[in-house]
Amino acid sequence: MPWPPGFHAMQTPPSILSTERLEKTFAGGDAEAMVAAVRGVNLSVGRGEFVAVTGASGSGKSTLLHMLGGITRPTAGRVLLEGVDLATLDDDALAAIRRRRIGFVFQRYNLLPELSLLENVSLPLALDGVTPARCETAARAALEAVGMDHRGSHRPDELSGGEQQRGAIARALVTDPAVVLADEPTGALDSANSSRVVQLLQRLVAERQQTVILVTHDPAVAAAAGRVVRMRDGQVESDSAGNSRP
Amino acid sequence: MRLRGLLVRQWMRRPGRALAAAASVAVAVGAAVATWTAADASRQGFQRLTEAVAGVPTIDVTARDGQRFVATAVPRLVDVPGVRAVVPLFYRPSLLRVGENRLREVAVGVDVEALVSAGLLALESGEPCREDDELVLDATLAKGLGVTVGDEVLFFARRRIARMRVTGLAATNSLRWFAEGATVVADIQVLESMSLSTAEVDRIRIVLAPGAAREEVLTAVSGRLPEALVADVPAGRASLAEDVLHSANLGLDFVTALTLAMAWFIVGNAMLMNVAERRRGLSLIRVLGGTARQVRRLVTVEAAILGGIGAAVGAAVGLAAAGPISAGISRALQTSAGGVAVHPLLVPVAVALGIVIAVAAAWWPARQATSLDLLEGLSALPAEPPRESMRGLLLAAMVLTAVAFACELAMAFGILPPRASVVSGVVLLLAFVAFTPFFLIPLVRFLGGFVPSRWRIEGRLAVAQIVRQPIRTALTAGVLVVAVSNGIGLGHAIRDSVDDVLGWYARMLKADWVLTQAGALSVSRQDRGAASRAMQDDVGRLDGVADVEGIGVATGRISGQACVVIARDLPAGLPLPLAPVDATEADVRAALERGEAVAGTVLAQRTGLKAGDAAVVEVFGRKTPIRIAALVVDYTSGGASLVLRRDAARRLFGMEAADVLLVTAAEGRAASLRDPLEVIARSHSMFLRSYGDLRGFIDRIVSGVVGSLWSILGLGFVVGSLGVANTVTMSVLEQQRSLGLLRAVGMRRGQVVGLVVLQSMLLGAAAGIIGLVSGVTTALFIQFASQPLLGHPLAMHIRPGVVIANLLAALAVTALAAWLPARRAVKLDLLEALSTE
Repeated sequence: MPWPPGFHAMQTPPSILSTERLEKTFAGGDAEAMVAAVRGVNLSVGRGEFVAVTGASGSGKSTLLHMLGGITRPTAGRVLLEGVDLATLDDDALAAIRRRRIGFVFQRYNLLPELSLLENVSLPLALDGVTPARCETAARAALEAVGMDHRGSHRPDELSGGEQQRGAIARALVTDPAVVLADEPTGALDSANSSRVVQLLQRLVAERQQTVILVTHDPAVAAAAGRVVRMRDGQVESDSAGNSRP
Repeated sequence: MRLRGLLVRQWMRRPGRALAAAASVAVAVGAAVATWTAADASRQGFQRLTEAVAGVPTIDVTARDGQRFVATAVPRLVDVPGVRAVVPLFYRPSLLRVGENRLREVAVGVDVEALVSAGLLALESGEPCREDDELVLDATLAKGLGVTVGDEVLFFARRRIARMRVTGLAATNSLRWFAEGATVVADIQVLESMSLSTAEVDRIRIVLAPGAAREEVLTAVSGRLPEALVADVPAGRASLAEDVLHSANLGLDFVTALTLAMAWFIVGNAMLMNVAERRRGLSLIRVLGGTARQVRRLVTVEAAILGGIGAAVGAAVGLAAAGPISAGISRALQTSAGGVAVHPLLVPVAVALGIVIAVAAAWWPARQATSLDLLEGLSALPAEPPRESMRGLLLAAMVLTAVAFACELAMAFGILPPRASVVSGVVLLLAFVAFTPFFLIPLVRFLGGFVPSRWRIEGRLAVAQIVRQPIRTALTAGVLVVAVSNGIGLGHAIRDSVDDVLGWYARMLKADWVLTQAGALSVSRQDRGAASRAMQDDVGRLDGVADVEGIGVATGRISGQACVVIARDLPAGLPLPLAPVDATEADVRAALERGEAVAGTVLAQRTGLKAGDAAVVEVFGRKTPIRIAALVVDYTSGGASLVLRRDAARRLFGMEAADVLLVTAAEGRAASLRDPLEVIARSHSMFLRSYGDLRGFIDRIVSGVVGSLWSILGLGFVVGSLGVANTVTMSVLEQQRSLGLLRAVGMRRGQVVGLVVLQSMLLGAAAGIIGLVSGVTTALFIQFASQPLLGHPLAMHIRPGVVIANLLAALAVTALAAWLPARRAVKLDLLEALSTE
């Protein structure tokens, strides 16, 4: 999908997604206590990169991912997606970015139970005002890309966890986003399904030059990425090439 | 797929939720239509009852000297705003001979044809009299005599004895407002001519248009009259009925407004739950790129569609219920049902209102849903209400309370009319509902402590569930708060007002038999004094009579205000029939014996009179100063009355005659007095009624009015119950996953049902307590508001029966409302329940 109207085309930056001194602080249970979930993270991700963000629980990896996707705003610092600072955008513009330039994959799939898989996949396009016919064509293509085209008419509760997650990946891809952000996409899956999902993401990166940033605490999944960013106490502890890096 | 499609899919997947939301609007609109129609039926019933008791509302134009006057001396009055008809009246006592029966009757001369065509005189059969030898008879009298249309009777007039043909039989009720006991109706010119009183009339009775303010018309008419004529509210007419009905109308306005407020809560709650339950889904749409506007549009479009469907169903159900409700109210008022009159705009307005309320109610939760942090929205845990919302609610509650109290003070100082009490009462109730979230949680925790130990776990979980959702549970509780407050507040106010009126009536009219003057009220004239004294003596001499008290009634004026002057014998041996305010009975009796007067509290309120003041009273054109010894609670002519002893009235105003005789029988002799009193009554053109008849008559009015108010209150409670049932059903639907979890960890089905019922009952009990406080405050508000109307404070009595009945009803409603959906929820397959989103 193109950039939403009103966004000025910029010269393609060397990185597709980057952060500058990114910080996020939450109010703790006690009103006085503040918890710094992310502290001064600088990160740069290039087109077609497959990045795994790992770390222990509470290390700030999911918060980092949510800021990268414009789901939550940073307390300080900047997130630049294709050169645009997400912090400068109002809610509607941010929604447009999420709709067109970012694909999300969640641990719990987050498919709407009342819609068929095909309708779930086409939802970001429908929200963008795309005609039903074009929505359906694009959704079918996305489902085909993840090998789920035969299950399009089924509702989420009629699918296995692995199938639902592949459907969720199709939904993330349907708008041809700049980046796919996956938050523990294999966290709710058995090892066989987990492996299929990881292979699917690898294939997308290889065949479509799709940028994927994945948060996981599973070393096996992280090992599949080309680059592994390890977080600890809200900071990047290490940033290294993964096992699968060519 | 468009977002509309998403809505349809959501309804298909969770039809219960959509149905419950639409049902809430149906209940609200149905309630509005049914309450409105029922209130309308009550008002019409009250109107018919008033007309049956006191006749249509009127004003009389009479000569200041109490004599007859020439009709042409009266200027044109029919164009005065609020005047429906101007009716000259001429009364003539006469003799009627029908076969062998000779009857002393009063004839009234009017323009019969005009009255019939104006709908002011109803003929049971026949047609109006038009010729010189025609007349119309009271249908009851005619039936007693066996006279039918076309028969001839002999009519004895001053000039001649005429053989006259009966052309029509008039319905007795329709004669009451002008006939003053007359049973023969003739053309006014014919009767005047037969009585050698050409162009003279006793009075001109002005019939008010429906809804016209009597005081305003009185002022306008008075402004046009020549000095020799005076306009007044007819003296001695049954204004008691009007007062009761006036209060009842105020009560009707109150109940209608509160039912509408309750309807709003029901819809608001349903919409809030409908949106809150889909918080995750709505947040997901936003995460996937849906804008806040799109989500809000989705929610409001849904509300409009569900609101429209619900409103159409509700309007149909409300209309279907209106018929039986109106018929029931007519039965309660013992008046003929006037048919269900539905204003043509009622249904379209109700449907539009349903849609508007549904959209307005969905707007706030939609706003909340879209301003929620996306991560919070995606989490499985319910969001706590934002602190700003709670602060805003507290502020709103405080502002509403201040507005309600300001309204009351403005009414107390006469800046606002008493009718503003409806607004202030509703505002106060809204304030209570706004305070509910702050009181509800501590109350529920407190009540949770009383749950028996065998249900300790269920009790603890029930409290936790309520505490988790303070705003939503407060809205559900709000419906109950309104219903209970309505029942307790109006229940007390109605009973206290009725007791006040009945207490006054019992004090004022203590006798076994009551003789009232029939005919032209010429009793006020001095020339009737001797005859009435003779009659009082005749009655006093009857064997078995212990005491006879004469009461004279005349219209008067004080400081330009119309009043009724009541002259009573006030025998020393009988208790004082007055309730003095801030004075002892002994002092009042002594002052009356000195020739002073006491003023009704309403008259004092209107004229600014206080005990100890000297007032100038105008009666029969004569102005006389008199000292006001004290103020008394009185409902005669709306409390605008001046009471004094008959000897003083005779001396000061020339009031000689007695319009009413109260006859007290010796012990055990009451029944034996009927026949001799009947004879005396007929010979003096008076009506004889037993105290029992009169008491029954008053009781009929009061119980009818109270019954109709209770039935509308009951309707409000039914609406509240339906609303609570609906919201509890939605709440159980929403908890399906939690309930499934509880069963998964080993809770038995019975325990889960118990938990849901307990949760609902705790809510009912807490709402009942808040409703009790609100209801008592509302009752105090209503009584405070009636003070300017009545001129005296009403005593407020807490009635345990009313309180307990309302609290028990609240508990029963909540228990029943929860039981059915809880049973359904536990029957659900465990896996299905656990997978509920």
